[in-house]
Amino acid sequence: MTAVAETAGSFGHEVERSGAPLIDVEGVWKIFGRNADRIVGTADAELSRGELRAKHNCVAAVRDVSFQVWPREVFVVMGLSGSGKSTLVRTLIRLIEPTAGRVEIDGRDITSASQAELRELRRHTSSMVFQHFGLLAHRRVIDNVAFGLEIQGVSKAERLRRAEEVLTLVGLDDVGNSFPDQLSGGMQQRVGLARAFAVDPKVMLYDEPFSALDPLIRRDMQDEVIRLQHETGKTMVFITHDLPEALRLGDRIAIMRDGAIVQLGTPEELVGSPADEYVANFVRDIPRSHVLTLRWIMRDPAPGDEDGPRLDVRTTVRNAVPLIVESEKPVCAVEEGRVVGVVDKEAVLTAIAGESG
Amino acid sequence: MAVAQAAGRLAAPPQRRWWRGRAGLVVAIVVGMAIAFIGWRNQVVWPASLTWNALAHHLDSFQVWLSDHRNVPHPSVFFRGFNGLANFLDNLVGWLTSLFFKLTWAGTTVLGVLVVLRFGGRRAALGTAAAFLSFGLMGLWESSMRTFALTLASVGLSLAIGLPLGVLAGRSDRFQRLITPVLDAMQIIPAFAYLMPIVLLFSVGPGAAVVTTLIYSVPPAIRITALGIRGVPTNTVEAAAALGATRMQTLFKVQLPLARRMLLLSVNQTILFALSMVVIAGLIGGQGLGDVVTSGLYSNPALALLAGAAIVIMAIALDRATEAMANRTDPAHRHLTEGKQRQLRLFTLGCAAAVGLAAGLGNALGAGSVWSRWTGQSWLLRQVQSALDYVQNPDTFIFHITNPIGNFLVQYGLEPLRSFFVELPWPAMTFGLALIAFLISGLRPAVVTLAMFSLIGLTNEWTQAMDTLSQVLVATVLTMIVGIPLGVWAAESNRTRRVMRPILDVLQTLPQLVYIIPFIYLMPVSIVPGVIAGVLYASPVVIRLVEAGVREVSPHSVEAAGAFGATRFQTLLKVKIPLAREAIMLGVNQGMIMVLAVVVIGGLVGSGALGYDVAQGLQQSLFGQGVLASLAILALGIALDRVTQGRRRRRLEDLA
Repeated sequence: MTAVAETAGSFGHEVERSGAPLIDVEGVWKIFGRNADRIVGTADAELSRGELRAKHNCVAAVRDVSFQVWPREVFVVMGLSGSGKSTLVRTLIRLIEPTAGRVEIDGRDITSASQAELRELRRHTSSMVFQHFGLLAHRRVIDNVAFGLEIQGVSKAERLRRAEEVLTLVGLDDVGNSFPDQLSGGMQQRVGLARAFAVDPKVMLYDEPFSALDPLIRRDMQDEVIRLQHETGKTMVFITHDLPEALRLGDRIAIMRDGAIVQLGTPEELVGSPADEYVANFVRDIPRSHVLTLRWIMRDPAPGDEDGPRLDVRTTVRNAVPLIVESEKPVCAVEEGRVVGVVDKEAVLTAIAGESG
Repeated sequence: MAVAQAAGRLAAPPQRRWWRGRAGLVVAIVVGMAIAFIGWRNQVVWPASLTWNALAHHLDSFQVWLSDHRNVPHPSVFFRGFNGLANFLDNLVGWLTSLFFKLTWAGTTVLGVLVVLRFGGRRAALGTAAAFLSFGLMGLWESSMRTFALTLASVGLSLAIGLPLGVLAGRSDRFQRLITPVLDAMQIIPAFAYLMPIVLLFSVGPGAAVVTTLIYSVPPAIRITALGIRGVPTNTVEAAAALGATRMQTLFKVQLPLARRMLLLSVNQTILFALSMVVIAGLIGGQGLGDVVTSGLYSNPALALLAGAAIVIMAIALDRATEAMANRTDPAHRHLTEGKQRQLRLFTLGCAAAVGLAAGLGNALGAGSVWSRWTGQSWLLRQVQSALDYVQNPDTFIFHITNPIGNFLVQYGLEPLRSFFVELPWPAMTFGLALIAFLISGLRPAVVTLAMFSLIGLTNEWTQAMDTLSQVLVATVLTMIVGIPLGVWAAESNRTRRVMRPILDVLQTLPQLVYIIPFIYLMPVSIVPGVIAGVLYASPVVIRLVEAGVREVSPHSVEAAGAFGATRFQTLLKVKIPLAREAIMLGVNQGMIMVLAVVVIGGLVGSGALGYDVAQGLQQSLFGQGVLASLAILALGIALDRVTQGRRRRRLEDLA
């Protein structure tokens, strides 16, 4: 089914949200500047960016951000440059110290962790992929991949064995002895991916990993991330400024503006009911039929509707169109063998018509 | 209403305070000084009541006290520690020297060439071989090795101090801010200003020579190391942190390896800075080529010139060799396979064997420590001497060029300016310059200038300082006349830049004193050699700063000017040079400081003034006077720096 490739992130796996979240972020602030500590909690925290800069010479990069990420979920943070998304992801493992708020990962309080505890977390629980790769130019690819394990003190034979495994996983079997500058940008980022995977983390953080790549290669790499996600089931926090990328990958997406989250929801929610003008402007050019699924446009089944052709409730409108057009009766949307709703031609036309307006 | 107000605010030019940035005011002050000169010429000299005459005497007795207490059979703990340090430095140099001598010239040459061959490649190795050969052929093998040992010891210590501090400065902004002014001071102060205090503490000998060299060569080691550490891409460091690396792991596995090329370049710069100090070190007991130069200045000029040439050759060879090593061994660009690594290891072993063999053969066949036979020294000396005779012969063509130039400079530049400064009433001089400092640079520099001039008066060196100042000003003006047009030309034409670059490289590599030697004979008019040498020494830096400044002018502005139909000359005059003004101002500032450093060294060869007092202090043991002259040089240097620093540095500090 081609639908899997279209919205793989939201379609390929189910996120179990009944347990405890793997990442729990509560009221995180990051303010850069001298008197940063004195602002959160006062009325000044409500000031706009420009006013805050004028009054305190401070920049609020992240403002009161809260969210949870559950195991196996792909959580995307999307925003334009300067919206604070890269700062936010860095505060999660305290590459940048948050000014206020609390972050828990895997049940451990990160914000109060000692330096040693923090190192343990960074070594075993999380790993990160960077926009400009951050590879070590003086080391071979395989040593780059093994670097995280080297930091942990894993023996040389063991870490090289593991690095080779991971290189195979990302499709770079034969470049282990090359040096980073001998590879293309896309391949260098595969090395970056491999390095992050090599330590077998629970949480993977991606900071705009594909922004520096050509569009075609970017698409390849997105597929690669989707594939790896399916094979390994990692939890991911993915930062991007590219909305199509966010829609493709994310189970849920948080849209940031001026340091705050303006909307948090599934791709369908963002496209189907944008929270404000800002988000609406963002999603305006996205073809709704590519994102919205039957679940979004179906109505409750009336008696006698249930004998129409059946489609999975997670099928996108675009992929359902041929069947709905051909069918005499409304199409039944099915979830776990049960009919949960029906979709008729009118509903499809309304959804598609929404694209132009 | 609000809009109208805003528009009004935009339309009004930014208010410029009336006393700021007016060239006219500076001219007015100079005119005022000239009036004071005409009206009260020679009538208001620095009052004796404001001079601390006893200071020189106190300093002399302090030195006697110091040497008495150091040389008693059982000195106190403090002096024991100090003597220990001095002895350690002496021994370090001595040990290295005797190592080279034990290896014999054969072993040392093979060692040097193979080390360069292994790490720097064939071309650099050839250069090294040629350099060693020339030391032997010039009959200066022994002196060269002493100098080389002195340089190596100084460089080793500079790096031992500089690399850790540089790493610290690279990782900590606060430490960087703390140490930068100290490094600035160490590099601005002319060497002649700290020779005397060092001799006081360490007494004459290789140890004092090493310390002198260290003061000059540690700053570049720290600066370039810090630059290298800061040059490592942030996201690479961040990636290491995200993987849970400790600070030490980040330093040793990421920052140092990636900064490696810069670290090796810092070694390169440290060597060049150290080497440029060895001639001066010859004045205070650094044996070797520097000693040959300084003692030969009076007794055997041909030999001094030859030794100067040997220093130049050593500088160029070391520069090329270390630069090649830095580039060739950069692991980020040179990817070694394991087979290649094995090969290199074998080659290294082979090299070690070859050195052993050469040293053994050299000892067995009686090559001795010194290259004694087959030197061309006497032939070379004859050639140099005949060249010297030629340029000094009043009948020759050269003499008819050099002599009038020298006389012109003295008659219309140096002499009138000197008498102007010396005979000008001191309050006019002091307050005039302080006012100019205020106009160009601001209040604090003006206050510093005032304080520095008072210090000069207090030390009873007023006349000599004014003499030095006149030399510095003439040399600076000449430097600008040479440097600014050449800098602009180099910025405008890539070909000129290509031609000039190697020349500037060589000029910048040469030790300060080496510049002076040829001009002692080319222009044998007392003050002129020092001035010309100062111009030569400072010009490359001015040319480079001006060139960089003009080249950095935004291409958009240039394009815009072109779009309005400006000719190339108009673009240059109306766009590029005005926009490059800060770079040119920086050139004036740096040029002046560099000129001062050379002009005072000219005191050794007849420039008189402050440099002469220091030289006297060193050579005649007139200790107190020497220290006071050193102080005056220091004060003059700081004052000149402050007067010309402009508002640029303050602006930089604001940003930091």
